[in-house]
Amino acid sequence: MPDRSAFHIRNLALAAGKAAIDHTISPGEIVGLAGLDGHGQETFLKTLAGLEKPAAGQVSIDTAAGRLAVAGFRKAVASGIAYLPRDRRATGIFPTQSVLDNFAISTVGRDARMGFISTAERRRRYEVFRERLSIAAPSPAAAITTLSGGNQQKVLLARALALEPKVLLLNDPTRGVDVATRHVLYEVFRGLAAEGMALVILSSEIEEILVLCHRVLVFREHEVAAEMSGAAMTTDAVIAAMFGRAA
Amino acid sequence: MKFDRSFFASTNGRIAGAFAVAILLHVVGTLLIPGYSAPFAIRAILVLAALLAVASIGQTLVVILGGIDLSIPFVIGFANVVAAQLYGQGWNFVLVCAVVGVLAVLIGGLNGLISRGLNIHPLIVTLGIGMIVQGLVLLWTKGFPSGSAPPAVSAFVSIGGSVGPLPVPWLVPCVAVLTALIVLVLARTPYGRRLYALGSNPGAAPLALIDPVKMWVVTYAASAFFAATAGVLLLGFTGSAYGDVGQPYLFQTIAAVVVGGAALVGGRGSYLGTIAGVLVLTEINTLLIGLGFQPAAVQAALGLIIVLLVSLYGRERHVSTTI
Amino acid sequence: MIGSLIRNAGFALILLVVLLAGNLLLNPARFHPAAWGTLIGLAAPLIGAAAASAPVILAGRGGIDISVGPLMGFVNAIVIQALFLKAGISSPWIILPAALLVGAAVGAANGFMATVLRIQPIVATLGTYLILVGVTLTILPAPIGPAPVWLKAMAGPISILPLAAIFVFWWLVHQTPYYDQLMAVGSDDRAAYTAGVPVTKVRFIAYVMTGMLAAVAGLMLTALIGSADPNVGPTYTLIAIAAVALGGVSLAGGKGGLAGAAIGAIDIFLLQSLLTAFNVSTYVLQVAYGTILVAAVMLTAVQERLSARRAA
Repeated sequence: MPDRSAFHIRNLALAAGKAAIDHTISPGEIVGLAGLDGHGQETFLKTLAGLEKPAAGQVSIDTAAGRLAVAGFRKAVASGIAYLPRDRRATGIFPTQSVLDNFAISTVGRDARMGFISTAERRRRYEVFRERLSIAAPSPAAAITTLSGGNQQKVLLARALALEPKVLLLNDPTRGVDVATRHVLYEVFRGLAAEGMALVILSSEIEEILVLCHRVLVFREHEVAAEMSGAAMTTDAVIAAMFGRAA
Repeated sequence: MKFDRSFFASTNGRIAGAFAVAILLHVVGTLLIPGYSAPFAIRAILVLAALLAVASIGQTLVVILGGIDLSIPFVIGFANVVAAQLYGQGWNFVLVCAVVGVLAVLIGGLNGLISRGLNIHPLIVTLGIGMIVQGLVLLWTKGFPSGSAPPAVSAFVSIGGSVGPLPVPWLVPCVAVLTALIVLVLARTPYGRRLYALGSNPGAAPLALIDPVKMWVVTYAASAFFAATAGVLLLGFTGSAYGDVGQPYLFQTIAAVVVGGAALVGGRGSYLGTIAGVLVLTEINTLLIGLGFQPAAVQAALGLIIVLLVSLYGRERHVSTTI
Repeated sequence: MIGSLIRNAGFALILLVVLLAGNLLLNPARFHPAAWGTLIGLAAPLIGAAAASAPVILAGRGGIDISVGPLMGFVNAIVIQALFLKAGISSPWIILPAALLVGAAVGAANGFMATVLRIQPIVATLGTYLILVGVTLTILPAPIGPAPVWLKAMAGPISILPLAAIFVFWWLVHQTPYYDQLMAVGSDDRAAYTAGVPVTKVRFIAYVMTGMLAAVAGLMLTALIGSADPNVGPTYTLIAIAAVALGGVSLAGGKGGLAGAAIGAIDIFLLQSLLTAFNVSTYVLQVAYGTILVAAVMLTAVQERLSARRAA
């Protein structure tokens, strides 16, 4: 359904009295979120994920069952939205657990056969993502903490992708990730978009957004200060919008 | 489970170490005390260990979750007294067990709900709930519990009992099967994996679709259920009801879990480790009493050994390595 | 200090007023102003135990000392059995320093295990708990008396003196940079470590303070019972921790103080007296006591949540 719009944001206000945001994100699109720290882009992303309640307005997504409002994280996930958190250590990995456990935890019920996890099935699912994301781990049973930051991030991305989402929300996905891994991740993101997934990427690096995204929303004081795409999307223009100057 | 080898190497090492200590203690006992390895003595050790093992199931689960359950001794006493009392009043014993089990699950569920739902340290909550439970039982029995165990339960746990050719009561093989089941549930069910994940990083759990409150309610309910089971088994063991029968199990269950290599900060531990810890504790107890130590000295030695064992393998990381 | 006390222990303070009023109303004889001295003496050991439990809890990362109660009992046994009865020493100038020394030594042992060996505090102090209970029962298998005259005189109104000493001590700690370091370590030890705070040392000192305060509590207990009893001390451990929690000291560390802990302890004491006034069986007392304890910590949590929402 490439011609159908996937993700609708209607009259969304990030804080009381702020201008409403109206936006539609289509399948196959990569939308960047930029802004100075604390200017609402993270709240926006979390609102899309159902993790925060907007001051006004609503977010909805088109599903096979019709258009569903996103209310709460679990509902968001159930209607095809996946979210990759920003702080790997605080809200991402389970440090005492293996790579395989960390990968499978969100979808742990899918491997259950008569109540018990089929290790073969779990392994098989993991291998698909290990190849696709070129995760470098000594073994799937190795502790997640033995992996580099970049590989931990790939495992977390695999965890999110295992949910088979239609919309992927990424909160600064390349933070603390080495350059080589970044490029692997960029390729993965482009590939996912090409397959029809909608991606929303919050990044603290403007270069990254310019390289990756079709469009960018620049946030300032909890409002969308500018929206750019194509040739208009330049470093100078984004910075100007972030600081509230005319480009 | 062969792929788990490298990851659990350290954990497995701890468990193997604790088992080795238990065997060592047994060898020492055999050398020092005549009759220490006599069939009856070994049967006694196995029965005592099996009872502690049942009481420690719940503590293992809540410790993996990152909690602690101080209500276990109170729930043991509750089940012990209530089962005896109801059976003494002529109730069918199956019905008695069902009532006790349901009540225990409610008590435990309440522990988990209050602790996680309101984010209050489970130490306080389980202590308070435990005291309420104990008070209610005392109130009901007016402090003088009556009744006794059905003969079947007594035979089930009797040190002199036997299972066909095996010279142990049914309790021992049943606990062995139960152990395998618990280990399987922890390793191979969605519940088990979520339990470890939640204990490992409570902040990340909701994003991984784990419902913390639900997990706490279920796990504390399970803890209380197994404590109640231990209480009923103890009724069979001692023959008559006694409200304080569970008191020694407060620190013993924690000690067994810790000696078995679990970290009280959550996300680590295994029931096999707890079993090893249970054997270590039972051996120490038997050995010291056999050597003629007074109960007070046994307790002091127990404290010393817990600290020694944990300082060998249970150390936490330095703050500088957590940054 | 007052402001933060009201913020952290606000609920415990309200509870204190309510319970005091209830006691005055239902229990006028026992709570007659002339009897307040006796009451303070009765409450002193619990207040001391709660104050003693606070420093290690404030130090955070699971800091807790469940050996406070047994340490009180151990000090009680040492003072009466070993010093007074066996060695014939009755001078406060020997008994006081000896008790403090014992407390500091046990605290240092706990601190060494919890901070240098890095055994989880609850496990390390559980070990100490079992050792102290065992040793106490070995040197003192059964209750024995009496206590030195001056120590017995410390019961009743005079017990305000050791309590005052504890709070003067804590006030002095408040004036030093150590206090800020303790609270910093308690609220975020990683940040404190990065900022150059000697985390291990700060925590170690907290354990030593807890040990010494527990020794003072042990002396107050000795004064109250006027004898040595191996079974009384350990009963204080969990109640003291409950008192600390009730007094707004976060068991996660870095929030609260000794004053809050003391208020929590007074709450529990007043609650016990109030329930006694109803002249019901001890079983009803225990149920009511447990219920109110759970209800109180629940209300504290709800209140914290509400004020956090208001702040946000």
